[in-house]
Amino acid sequence: MKVGLYNMVTGNMSRRRMLQGATSLGAISALGGLTGGLLPGAAQAESHMDVRAAILKIPGVGNGSPTDADWQKVGEMTLAATKANVAEGEFAGVELTFLGLNNQNLHNFLFRGFLKPWEAYTGAKINWIDLAQADYNPRLQQAIATGTVDFDIIEMGAPFEGDTAGRGLLDEMPDWVKAQIEMDDYVDYLKAPVGTWDGKTYRITVDGDCHTFAYRTDYFGEGSISGMAEAPKTWAEVQAVSKAVKGQTDPLTGGDAYGFLDPLKGWGGFGFYFLEDRATAYAKHPDNPAWLFDPENMKPYVNNPAFVQAIQDVMDTMPDLPPDQINADPGTTAFQQFLAGTGSMICWWGDVGSNARTSDSSVVGDVVGFSINPGADKVYNNVTGAWEELSEPNYAPNMAYLGWGIYVTNRVSGDEKKRKAAWSAAAHLGGKDISLWTAAYPSGFQPYRNSNFNYDEWEAAGYDRAFVEDYLGSNADSYNHPNAAIEPRIPGIFQYYSVAEDELAKGFAGQYGSAQETADAIAAAWEKITDQIGRDSQLALYRASLGM
Amino acid sequence: MSEGDLLHVVTADRITDQRRLAGRFVIWGSVAVLGLTALLKSLQEAGTISLPWATWQPVLYAYVLFGVCLCWGQVILKGEQGKRLVFVLPAALFTVAMVIFPLIFGLTIAFTDWNLASLSGRKFNGLDNIRQMWGDPFYWNAMTNMVWYVLAIAVEYAIAFGLALLLNAEIRARKFFRVAFLLPLMLSPVAVSWMIGKSMMELRFGPVANFARWLGWDSPSFFGSAGVARTSIMVMDAWTFIPFMMIMILAGLQAIPKELHEAARVDGASAWQNFWEVTFPLMLPVSITAILIRVIFKLKLADIIINVTSGGPGGATDSVTSFIFREYRDRSNVGYGTLLAMVYLVIIVIAMTILMKLADRWMRPRY
Repeated sequence: MKVGLYNMVTGNMSRRRMLQGATSLGAISALGGLTGGLLPGAAQAESHMDVRAAILKIPGVGNGSPTDADWQKVGEMTLAATKANVAEGEFAGVELTFLGLNNQNLHNFLFRGFLKPWEAYTGAKINWIDLAQADYNPRLQQAIATGTVDFDIIEMGAPFEGDTAGRGLLDEMPDWVKAQIEMDDYVDYLKAPVGTWDGKTYRITVDGDCHTFAYRTDYFGEGSISGMAEAPKTWAEVQAVSKAVKGQTDPLTGGDAYGFLDPLKGWGGFGFYFLEDRATAYAKHPDNPAWLFDPENMKPYVNNPAFVQAIQDVMDTMPDLPPDQINADPGTTAFQQFLAGTGSMICWWGDVGSNARTSDSSVVGDVVGFSINPGADKVYNNVTGAWEELSEPNYAPNMAYLGWGIYVTNRVSGDEKKRKAAWSAAAHLGGKDISLWTAAYPSGFQPYRNSNFNYDEWEAAGYDRAFVEDYLGSNADSYNHPNAAIEPRIPGIFQYYSVAEDELAKGFAGQYGSAQETADAIAAAWEKITDQIGRDSQLALYRASLGM
Repeated sequence: MSEGDLLHVVTADRITDQRRLAGRFVIWGSVAVLGLTALLKSLQEAGTISLPWATWQPVLYAYVLFGVCLCWGQVILKGEQGKRLVFVLPAALFTVAMVIFPLIFGLTIAFTDWNLASLSGRKFNGLDNIRQMWGDPFYWNAMTNMVWYVLAIAVEYAIAFGLALLLNAEIRARKFFRVAFLLPLMLSPVAVSWMIGKSMMELRFGPVANFARWLGWDSPSFFGSAGVARTSIMVMDAWTFIPFMMIMILAGLQAIPKELHEAARVDGASAWQNFWEVTFPLMLPVSITAILIRVIFKLKLADIIINVTSGGPGGATDSVTSFIFREYRDRSNVGYGTLLAMVYLVIIVIAMTILMKLADRWMRPRY
């Protein structure tokens, strides 16, 4: 769970409620033990439930942030799956190097704690390379480009799979690992082809990521300033709300009311995700997994009528945006605007929900609702080259960034013992039970398994069920959406985003004549990048990433 | 050896032919080791031979060995004269290793097509990068912005001179003001970006914006339109670096003998004449130095832009360095980014040389 979310769901909990949760947990544990004894056939499943309930008590919801001792305890209690596949001391003498992040003192810090009992049991030793987020991309790309990969296990985002798996730098996941981590439990969008290349599986997922739609509930309903009974379901309705509330007074802050908050300034490539939020509804046809490039020739779709419509929508709504929006990046729209009470709708990652009630600068905690990203009344069909008018909106939630995973590099491929050790360590971190803990406590990771959305477990642990259902529900609905827009995992994907931001900034500043001209400029720049990186290889990798 | 040199020789070495031979052997032997190591490593890189060397470290060790042998060889060959050289040689060798070699390496990268994401790696592409630069509107836009940014130094100089005159005068709490005026220079430009650009000048809650609103500016957006945004960046950068020019000019002012002003006054010069005919000409050397150093600082302007505007709106505030940063860091376009940096370096060197020549002419006293 992201730190902010944890603070929110625990910060508002009363002592009574926490005791209720603890009692329920105790009851579940006791019941588990009892039924386990009475029903030997179900003993394994029950003990499994015991573990899940027990780890949720470490350190206990509302008992402050977990420490290294807690991480080690969780690592110890979830070791059963490892023990089933590895004998005690089997990896004695094996040394592995693990490259990961040190964001917010989480990520690698957690992994260290989780893996300490694993090291003690297996006899292996792990050396750690900790990187700040900003150093991660250059470090990884330089290691790859200069042939100096010096790590056996890596924590990596799926967008980099093109750079690594695409170059044959990763080791294929053995079947026993797939069984140990119960991959079938992954939410739909994280299942293959994500994590796979050319049909081979490489990734153990430990995180999920997507954009969801957050809105102000006090802008909608009877007598509301938008005049709409419910929050918008399509981008056309979003545009209408932005127009309708312009010039009115915000019901919460008393300041000027605004509609949807588009970030018009770049954000190191990440800003392009926010144009995608609008574009995917128009551009992601349910019958076609490709929506950003033509899978036949790598021609960009970014200047097709769907993307042009999205850019035009942004341009149309610019007069209705808060002043100085041309200088607002996504961080500004989320933290300085939406959470501070400016604007009524935004698409963002989970941080908006998690900060809504806990951040000191947030005033919208009690009036925020969530849903999947808005849809569109029409969808562009890249195959026929024509718009299709729809009776029901086309929804295509934007799976922006795809979350973190653990991968094993091909440095271990020649040494079977080392290879098994590396995969065992990675599988321990990506285990089903440990994922419940990382979903429920500050870890830097979001839920990514269907079993993570069992709200009874959350409620029993003492969480606010209504909030968890609303906020996490929008994530679950996005993750499992049949028409989710999955990010292409091709090398240099952020180069495409970065150059698109530059061109969009020019378009929004009025330096291009139209949305089409802006989109054409992006497409031309993307063509250059594709040619530079290598069209044939990009095409092959793109198709592989789509599972084609 | 000249007579003058001989005067400083403490011990007269007898350098025999054998010794000379040994000296040459030490130097050329180490050259051979260095050359051979570099050749072997290059062949290994090219895939011609197989060696257990994972990195270029052996070549580095060979270079260090060459450095030691070169110094040693000088002493053997030239005796005390060689010992004198040893005082300079390590520094020269260090410069070669840390400046000259990377520069040559950088130049070889600048003429390649090297995108870190490309599977095919680095490819020599001749003058393609220069052609791309020639037709790159983002680069030339940044270059034009740089002209504006550099021209703003004239205003900064005038303000710095005024402040320096003020602090040189007999005013109350002079020492306090001297320290206070220096404070902005002590701040990191990143801190300035956040504290000033993203907080004080923020449209909704920033105190500067509120003040501007109170003055009657309806929507005080400091980074919303091209001209205003560029000016805002100039102001923030000027605020940071004016103290630097000011302190240099102040030092110059304090070095002017009081007698000159007194003599001028005795001759009946007015306050203005005293400044324009005495102070200003005497301050020219310091002023030119301050401006030259400021120009060098200005040409590197990037941090404030990257943090506050990311070059926007629509490239209006982009500097060459902030553009190269995006090209290099966000787009991993190493070859093209390096070429842009190299061209910029050449332009800076040429511009600074011309400026220094002109300065040399201006600095000649007019009396």
